[in-house]
Amino acid sequence: MSATASDVAGSAARRSVSHLLFRPFACIAGGRSLLVGLAAIMLAGFLGSLSHTHFDGAIDMHTGRPAATSVFLSEGLVNWLAMSVALFLLGKLVSRADFRALDLFGTQAMARWPTVLAALAALAPPYRRLVSSITTQALQTGGFAAERADVVLGGLPMLVALLTIVWMVALMYHSYSLCCNIRGARAGLSFVAALVAAEIVSKIVIVRVLLG
Amino acid sequence: MASLPTSCPSCGDQLLAKRLACPGCGTEVEGCYALPGLASLKAEDQRFIVQFVESSGSLKEMARLLGVSYPTVRNRLDEIIARVVRARALQEDDDERDSQ
Repeated sequence: MSATASDVAGSAARRSVSHLLFRPFACIAGGRSLLVGLAAIMLAGFLGSLSHTHFDGAIDMHTGRPAATSVFLSEGLVNWLAMSVALFLLGKLVSRADFRALDLFGTQAMARWPTVLAALAALAPPYRRLVSSITTQALQTGGFAAERADVVLGGLPMLVALLTIVWMVALMYHSYSLCCNIRGARAGLSFVAALVAAEIVSKIVIVRVLLG
Repeated sequence: MASLPTSCPSCGDQLLAKRLACPGCGTEVEGCYALPGLASLKAEDQRFIVQFVESSGSLKEMARLLGVSYPTVRNRLDEIIARVVRARALQEDDDERDSQ
């Protein structure tokens, strides 16, 4: 059976949407992605400060602890730098391509834009009530009681936040693979190694220096 | 005009030019001529190389023209370089075999 023109157009549109969502760096990199990314990191930090949501690790998100707005803004920068430096070093080690640091750092910054959505999800009142119930009651008494509506309505933004973090990791990988021109097992393994290193370094810097 | 076939449809080996013709006067030349290395590339790769030369070898300008990012163009160029190197190595192997 042959595909009609509308089938072809539909599949091309779906491809371009998935390209835009998961492979945007094929079209945007360098200084432009750096500007967009830094703006997104600052916005996510500011929105996080409104709901006391910390991005306190390369791929972490925790809500509850009050802090100065500057801490929320700095956390995003620490995460971005830790991940970018780790990927840059591993990229230099693993890739045979001669890549530009500006592309990797810029696209890594832009890969963090889904944290804006996660921070927005954390502003939902049921989410904040649910997190508050979990952190204050469950940690102290071993159980917690929350309105069923809050569990359902708060669970939804929690799921959205989780998915945006997964999406962010997918974008980070695409940025690394494209900018350093590596694919396959070599790309996957070195990316995981960089992610683990960045998580450890960012966690230490944020907990010891920013929150400590 | 039909595009130039560069590999044998039967065994995949690199084709050679046996007859060349002048479209102006009709003169024909027969012999056994190896195709230039760039002719062994796919048509789209050849178009890319022409655009690259027209952009004075600027990858930034290429990225702007093609509407893609710099690393996308850089990676494409790296792929073509790898193909050219492979084609040249094959050609050198063939030449060595012929000389023996």
